[in-house]
Amino acid sequence: MATSDSSSSPSSSGTEFADPNPSTDPETNSERVQSQLESMNLSQPSEVSDGSHTEFSGGDDDDNDVASANGNEGGVSNGGLVSEGVAGISGEEEIEVSLRAENPVEMEAGEEPPSPTSSGYDGERGSSGGATSTYKADDVSEDEIREANVDGDTASQHEAAWLPGKRHVDEDDASMSWRKRKKHFFILSNSGKPIYSRYGDEHKLAGFSATLQAIISFVENGGDRVNLIKAGKHQVVFLVKGPIYLVCISCTDETYEYLRGQLDLLYGQMILILTKSIDRCFEKNAKFDMTPLLGGTDAVFSSLVHSFSWNPATFLHAYTCLPLPYALRQATGTILQDVCASGVLFSLLMCRHKVVSLAGAQKASLHPDDLLLLSNFVMSSESFRQVLNILSIRTSESFSPICLPRYNAQAFLHAYVHFFDDDTYVILLTTRSDAFHHLKDCRVRIETVLLKSNILSVVQRSIAEGGMRVEDLPIDRRRRSSTANQGQDTAVPEVSVGTGGPCGLWHFMYRSIYLDQYINSEFSPPVTSHRQQKSLYRAYQKLYASMHVKGLGPHKTQYRRDENYTLLCWVTPDFELYAAFDPLADKAMAIKICNQVCQRVKDVENEVFLQGASPFSW
Amino acid sequence: MPSRRRTLLKVIILGDSGVGKTSLMNQYVNKKFSNQYKATIGADFLTKEVQFEDRLFTLQIWDTAGQERFQSLGVAFYRGADCCVLVYDVNSMKSFENLNNWREEFLIQASPSDPENFPFVLIGNKVDVDGGNSRVVSEKKAKAWCASKGNIPYFETSAKEGTNVEEAFQCIAKNALKSGEEEELYLPDTIDVGTSNQQRSTGCEC
Repeated sequence: MATSDSSSSPSSSGTEFADPNPSTDPETNSERVQSQLESMNLSQPSEVSDGSHTEFSGGDDDDNDVASANGNEGGVSNGGLVSEGVAGISGEEEIEVSLRAENPVEMEAGEEPPSPTSSGYDGERGSSGGATSTYKADDVSEDEIREANVDGDTASQHEAAWLPGKRHVDEDDASMSWRKRKKHFFILSNSGKPIYSRYGDEHKLAGFSATLQAIISFVENGGDRVNLIKAGKHQVVFLVKGPIYLVCISCTDETYEYLRGQLDLLYGQMILILTKSIDRCFEKNAKFDMTPLLGGTDAVFSSLVHSFSWNPATFLHAYTCLPLPYALRQATGTILQDVCASGVLFSLLMCRHKVVSLAGAQKASLHPDDLLLLSNFVMSSESFRQVLNILSIRTSESFSPICLPRYNAQAFLHAYVHFFDDDTYVILLTTRSDAFHHLKDCRVRIETVLLKSNILSVVQRSIAEGGMRVEDLPIDRRRRSSTANQGQDTAVPEVSVGTGGPCGLWHFMYRSIYLDQYINSEFSPPVTSHRQQKSLYRAYQKLYASMHVKGLGPHKTQYRRDENYTLLCWVTPDFELYAAFDPLADKAMAIKICNQVCQRVKDVENEVFLQGASPFSW
Repeated sequence: MPSRRRTLLKVIILGDSGVGKTSLMNQYVNKKFSNQYKATIGADFLTKEVQFEDRLFTLQIWDTAGQERFQSLGVAFYRGADCCVLVYDVNSMKSFENLNNWREEFLIQASPSDPENFPFVLIGNKVDVDGGNSRVVSEKKAKAWCASKGNIPYFETSAKEGTNVEEAFQCIAKNALKSGEEEELYLPDTIDVGTSNQQRSTGCEC
């Protein structure tokens, strides 16, 4: 009957909860939680008997990078969730915790002594050296090392070169490579059954999943909630959505707010596929197993997780448009609006992750997060694209139930999806499950207009040309050289010449609050590699988070300089601007440039934004 | 989907402290036994992949602590269990008498949808001790208890010698699987404008 021992895992000695003091007094509650959490020993996997998991083969360069980068961290790589402190969010949730990193708790006499796991680990501890070198190595190896190495250098490439689907399925929580991954995502049910894991096979991770549930349920039992566990460089972020638990374990140095936002989006993506009616399944049957319902959607989740590091829409909560001549976008908008008048709820013409135009029925509004999740779903599901018939003629049209979590999380809409070419597609959403033929007719009407006005080729040209470039900002050269003359440091003008835009402007993002839209400049030298781009986005995310801290009053501007960038953020009731400059850029000039950027965006707003899309003005 | 549907079964092991729950699990999953007693704190988790009638599934085994002070963890731990294994020590009358408490506590805390038919399996452990001379609970007595609780399957095992452990877990898996089969149907709604139709249309690609 038995075929294989799939794991013992950290589970083998497991989560061990002690509840010596079941007091429910709210005042002593956090203390109690502390003492209880202290006694959770999520210990090392040293009992793992299966050598194939623990033996770390040096064959994979990427993984070795990770290993040496993180070798001496606590937390997950140390064999469990080892926490040094829990930062609560608001008072009542605050839990101070100190979890001990205990070594094998249940090592039994006569069992194998320090397993390959721990000895390998010790070796890495030695090799990772001092704090500085660790930090640097760490910086280089992002959570997707593989991509960083494989990917090309430009933004469009790094979107395109990314391989969909789940990787490293052979791993589980006993594999050293799994433990070294910089960012894990888990979805599980409140009975501890695994639903999704970014890396590794869900079933092999059943023990780990149970551990996560035990932690969450344990704190819940005390009438409290666990939001975050900090363990060295690792953050363990929890999100409870009814019967669904979501967990992110990350040492990427992203903010807690953004990681939690990512879990929210992950949950939204699941709702988009299944609706919230899954809650009812769990109400009726706590042992309900959701995994089969999500069959074949690994690529959707992994593509969303990937977008957390390249798509600013994931933290700006705004969408972006493909730059287009105003008249063309208007013409497209008109036909989409006509289609909506015929009983279609939303009609969208998209190009990759960017909007060409969209329209909605009266009173129907589409949230930018829904748009993000919808386009991610369509773009990452191969079956929507390139369905060729016998004559190799593209007939890719699909009709699929889809839920927009922000619009109505309870129920399905039906989506008609058609790709006009590799990049451009139309999505028509309706409430009627029998509307396929009507939507097909609508698509034909839209196609006719697109062909007549030649929009598809303009769209292709726009993709090729890309968005705004900092080098092209029409700023007169004299001002630039005058900086050089004032220049405190001769390096400044030299850096700004040929790298980036005027006065060392490297990149900017502009978010129109009223329109729920943003634009960002194309990446220019020196921000060329995927790693640099990702690191710039992370810097923006922190800036964004610091400008949106609740209860700290409205901040208007922030100027921040570190060894990597000079960052400038400007928030007004109408827009937010985030700009990155050379670290040596001059502050006064940077401010001047930001003003010019805003002016420039306003000059071209008819081309870069979708104007007057009624469903969005809320 | 690349592979056939796999099922995950949550199995809870309950019983007085020291009856050998952890040893049974270790014998089953790791084929190991230790004479040393180490109390489980809270719960311990193990997984094992098994094949049964050409289906592959994963047992997620929750080895719980037997001490009474851990009982408050019940709700969180028992939720969504597919099978509950009750363990007693054939050399301890007390551990046998407590089975009623364990069973009732489980049914209260886990509140399964059909408590009458929830799959339990009873294991009488440590049959090897003293060549069976120190045994105080007879097989007959145990079987009578099982019969009174709706014919709970019964196994006598020795975690130390590995006797009957595989067979017991095979039965556990089988019963857990059986109970998992009457799963609730997933019936999502469609946004309603006039007609209400509840169905999940499958994608249609023409």
